[in-house]
Amino acid sequence: MSSVDGLASIYPPARFLRDAAFQAAFESDGLTAFRAKPLAVVIPESSEDVIATVRWCHDHGVPFVARGSGTSLSGGSLPVADGIVIALNRLNQILELRAAERIAVVQPGVVNQHVSDAAAPHGLVYAPDPSSQSVCTIGGNVAFNSGGAHCLKYGMTSNHVLGCKSVLATGEVVTLGGPSAESVGPDFTGLFCGSEGLFGIALEITLRLLPKPEMFHTVLVGYQSLQAAGDAVSAVIDAGLLPGALEIMDALAIEAAEAAVACDYPEGAAAVLIVELEGPREKIDVEREQLEEVLKKTNPFAQRVARDEADRLFIWKGRKSAFSAVGRLSPDFLVQDGVVPRNRLGEALVRIEQLSQEADLRVANVFHAGDGNLHPLIMFDGKQAGALERAEALAARLLRLCIEMGGSITGEHGVGMEKRQFLPEMFDAPTIALMDRMRQAFDPKRVSNPGKMFPGKEADVLSSSGLHPLEKAGVISRE
Amino acid sequence: MNNRLLKPAHADDLITMMAAEKFVLPVGNRTKAPLSASADAALISLGAFRGIIEYEPSEFTFTARAGTPIADIQTALAEKGQYLPFDPMLVEAGATIGGTAAAGLSGPGRFRYGGIRDFLLGARFVSGDGQTICAGGKVVKNAAGFDLPKFLVGSMGRMGVLLELTFKVFPKPSALRTLRVQCDSHTQALARMAKAACSRWELDAIDYRPGERSMVLRLAGPARAIESIDHEIGTTWGEDVAELPLADTFWQSVNELNWSAPGAAAVKVPTTPPQCIALHQGLAGEEAIAMHGSVAGNVAWLLVASTDGLAAVDRQLQVMNIPGLVVRGTYDTPYLGVWQSPKIQQAVQAAMDPPAKFLSLYRHPRPPAQVN
Repeated sequence: MSSVDGLASIYPPARFLRDAAFQAAFESDGLTAFRAKPLAVVIPESSEDVIATVRWCHDHGVPFVARGSGTSLSGGSLPVADGIVIALNRLNQILELRAAERIAVVQPGVVNQHVSDAAAPHGLVYAPDPSSQSVCTIGGNVAFNSGGAHCLKYGMTSNHVLGCKSVLATGEVVTLGGPSAESVGPDFTGLFCGSEGLFGIALEITLRLLPKPEMFHTVLVGYQSLQAAGDAVSAVIDAGLLPGALEIMDALAIEAAEAAVACDYPEGAAAVLIVELEGPREKIDVEREQLEEVLKKTNPFAQRVARDEADRLFIWKGRKSAFSAVGRLSPDFLVQDGVVPRNRLGEALVRIEQLSQEADLRVANVFHAGDGNLHPLIMFDGKQAGALERAEALAARLLRLCIEMGGSITGEHGVGMEKRQFLPEMFDAPTIALMDRMRQAFDPKRVSNPGKMFPGKEADVLSSSGLHPLEKAGVISRE
Repeated sequence: MNNRLLKPAHADDLITMMAAEKFVLPVGNRTKAPLSASADAALISLGAFRGIIEYEPSEFTFTARAGTPIADIQTALAEKGQYLPFDPMLVEAGATIGGTAAAGLSGPGRFRYGGIRDFLLGARFVSGDGQTICAGGKVVKNAAGFDLPKFLVGSMGRMGVLLELTFKVFPKPSALRTLRVQCDSHTQALARMAKAACSRWELDAIDYRPGERSMVLRLAGPARAIESIDHEIGTTWGEDVAELPLADTFWQSVNELNWSAPGAAAVKVPTTPPQCIALHQGLAGEEAIAMHGSVAGNVAWLLVASTDGLAAVDRQLQVMNIPGLVVRGTYDTPYLGVWQSPKIQQAVQAAMDPPAKFLSLYRHPRPPAQVN
């Protein structure tokens, strides 16, 4: 294969990998249901390496997939068979941190948490916090416009990206946006965020940092029904409060979390609600009283306010462990990521319960209630004939439910490989056609992360089931 | 200017009219006239596309037709104790929600939670080939498909005709207070702006009048809380701090771009804080120019009372290698300074507008057929 030899000439042998072990190591991402063996894995150490690789791929019509830590839950960084994986983990430098201007310029392989760690001595924080933040990278966050638990108040990744220098699929290097929070002209940075790797690869990303909230006020509330917890969310919002986080877990999710981390949630709760206020202490002093008044009227049977930071993290531990904990209740599970209008949460949960019974599959619910982002966890046993198919059918039904209710097929995981067949159910034909033309504008040869977002037969893959090895080890969780 | 002004009554009408024209530009209430000043294009008024279609206070979202005056939206939101956190500009002048999005303008209050791009959730629009496109969503969190709505922010009607927009809104703070902090020098002002922006105070706006060396801070929140933060700011900078009298009038004059020389041309320049100061210094001696720095030095607003003044701004922005946009006044182009125009921009414009119906970006007017 002389053509691949051409690519190999860009890299020393230790960073151009073709042996079976590496191909296997990179064959999947956070969505383990799919896998594909790449032709080669390259490990660039500079932007120039990435640019040269993309140009080579473009010139030779060879597909490529950029990959950070491979935590995508939509199969967004799934390799393309006979394509190149560009592993960006060594582009892990925070190039600049201008505390006075509250911006950081980072390479794509920088781990999300490391940005906040570097910002912390300056009293700053990088707000987007997907639950895989200890391993997921900024490049992947930008590509999939990742979310987290604080999106109602702070928005998603794209709301925190001011600019990015990128190599487009054609090899053109562009600087989109810049260091200012304001801009003139169409928002190319906003368009690039969430383009799922179909436009190219971000090389230097300018992030907006925020002052770290001075204080948190975290309340764990137990309810005797899911409906009551859902109603409480509406009551909090209607009171004019803007909590940083509003999270709900149902009985099954609580059971799993208790088994995993003994989080000491109220016994017998059909649902728990976590409300977290954040801000200057004077403001929290006022708002905590308001919150107390509101919650009193929502008929809770148990309530606990975090005493200190350790206690607060303990409350969050149950929430954050819920997903991997569900692995203890069931040999396999699928996690969905749909959005419904917040005031239809209660209705959505009733429908999910009905559909769960009809399909004879257990579904645990954990969700970002403040923004209507549901994460139903569909439990099944992959060893039973047809179980995976039934679980997938139920997952599809739940996504359609989100569309019917005026929501979205994805709040934060992206469309990726997993949901590409649903894109035409959310958007009409002219809209899909325009999105396809946009893709064509950036990538006329369709070499950049093909097979993602758009329905079709691009990039065939194999499917399988079971927990991701990192998930089994408790390193990542699906949230 | 003798552009024809077309007034479609509904979307089908608009699409039919578009098809019959060579070049078109959508307009709202024309409060940012330079953005639609073209000899070539027929102007399509969105005056008939007016009204809030849906408003769900408990969702923090609303959808309105593009030609809806922002004043109407603010009134409806205020009745439910909510507001537009990106702090829209030129509201008194009659700005519409579609025009504001297309121009990409946000006011001083965007400091706290973000600009108009950060609050736009979804859009229905007509692409150049007359197709009705519905992108984004109506819920506060959505990661499906390309973010075309965000791309249209700042596109100045050159990428599509907005029909309807969906926004996220927030609860309105119960009290406001404005403080003026007098500074000795720009250097001290920069340091103080940085301190204020990185502080625990969660300020609503941080603006700067370089001509007066005065920083203006807006506090927002429960009255009891801002009382205490106000006190702390006073302790921090002592006698330099005073409550600003007639604060409402002050902020209104900033948002309406008429704090100096009413009716003067207005230019928006995105900056870093040091660039904001450098721009002021570079324009020192230009008497026709008044500057207001906003969003902790992330945007410089210039009011320019003469054509020569605009030429001076243009030259200074070229020296600094940054772009500026004339949003009010008369000049031979709204695009001052240096605008990046990567190859991809043309390809994207062709994708959004296959028949080239809209005036192409950053060309004013559309030049003869060009080869790049």
